[in-house]
Amino acid sequence: MAIRILLVDDHPIVRQGLKTLLEGRSGWEVIGEASDGAEAVEKAKVLSPDVMVLDVTMPRMNGLEACRVLRRQSPGLEILFVTQHDSPQMMREALEAGARGYVVKSNAARDLLAAVEAVSEHRVFTALNGRNVPGLS
Amino acid sequence: MKLRILLADDHEIVRRGLRSLLEKHDGWEVCGEASDGREAIEKALQLTPDVVIVDIGMPNLNGLDTTRQLLQHDPHFKVIVLTITDSDQVIREALDAGARGFVLKSDAARDLVSAVEALQNKRMFFTPRVNDLVLAGFLEKGQTISRNEAPKLPTLTAREREITQLLAEGNSSKEVASLLNLSTKTVETHRSNIMRKLSFHSIRDLVVYAIKNNLIQIELPPPPKSPVGPTAA
Repeated sequence: MAIRILLVDDHPIVRQGLKTLLEGRSGWEVIGEASDGAEAVEKAKVLSPDVMVLDVTMPRMNGLEACRVLRRQSPGLEILFVTQHDSPQMMREALEAGARGYVVKSNAARDLLAAVEAVSEHRVFTALNGRNVPGLS
Repeated sequence: MKLRILLADDHEIVRRGLRSLLEKHDGWEVCGEASDGREAIEKALQLTPDVVIVDIGMPNLNGLDTTRQLLQHDPHFKVIVLTITDSDQVIREALDAGARGFVLKSDAARDLVSAVEALQNKRMFFTPRVNDLVLAGFLEKGQTISRNEAPKLPTLTAREREITQLLAEGNSSKEVASLLNLSTKTVETHRSNIMRKLSFHSIRDLVVYAIKNNLIQIELPPPPKSPVGPTAA
């Protein structure tokens, strides 16, 4: 299945790593990149991606704020957080903000492809570092 | 002959990004990867790379102590430190540890190739901020870079720093002993010495100390969202 993805992280080297991983999957395409939440909101409007891979901690507008804006602006867009925060509380906040998925950055190489696939099919995907969160996954 | 590079970062996704960046350069190859400092030392000794790139904030053994230990094994290792901050203290510790390059992670896509090229040509590479600080120190006639920073690690040995990091990461003495191939009793002795030297009475003190001194790093969550509705007068 073709999936058009927008990558959002303030570290270009992380975006590069995510991109090489995602583009290894046939039919998946990274159609754009953004380095903060405000740029993500703008690019989502122009590019209409299927899935946004979104960091939490970023300058200007953080990922949670961007997610709330995007929920109103682009209701068809599925949002997957990829973040350093290995925290059930942060995960709940991300889902409450409207995200469909949550993956910890240290496990991204393991979880990212399955997570993008799940959220692109409108399924919830959540994984903290080695543990499940009851009621969330 | 190709320039051989060893990458050490605890995030596989960052290593992928770095590898992809570096291998675009003709004549360079990533000869190995490590996900913590201890593995980096093992692989460096085994693979003898021309350049070692280490992240500062790695579990088990942080990048600064990895650099120190690598250079103790062999002073010819050329190490570039990757960091999320270029605070005075981190810069000073990286220089003290013997790093020959210092690159901010946020600028790695722009600076890392230049840094490796510099080391390849027997030069050093630092961010403009490091250069400014070194120059400022020189102009102050050998004054240290910043005398107002938090205290460093003057009294701890390399082994004590390793154990401090592992304890602060939440390992028990038994777990530390297993990781370092020591007896639990030896670790307990080191632990007592550390607590005595630093005048600490709890693990909490040790965790705070480890964070302040860059033995471990934490990422703070973004500030809470603004309250909705009327606010109290």
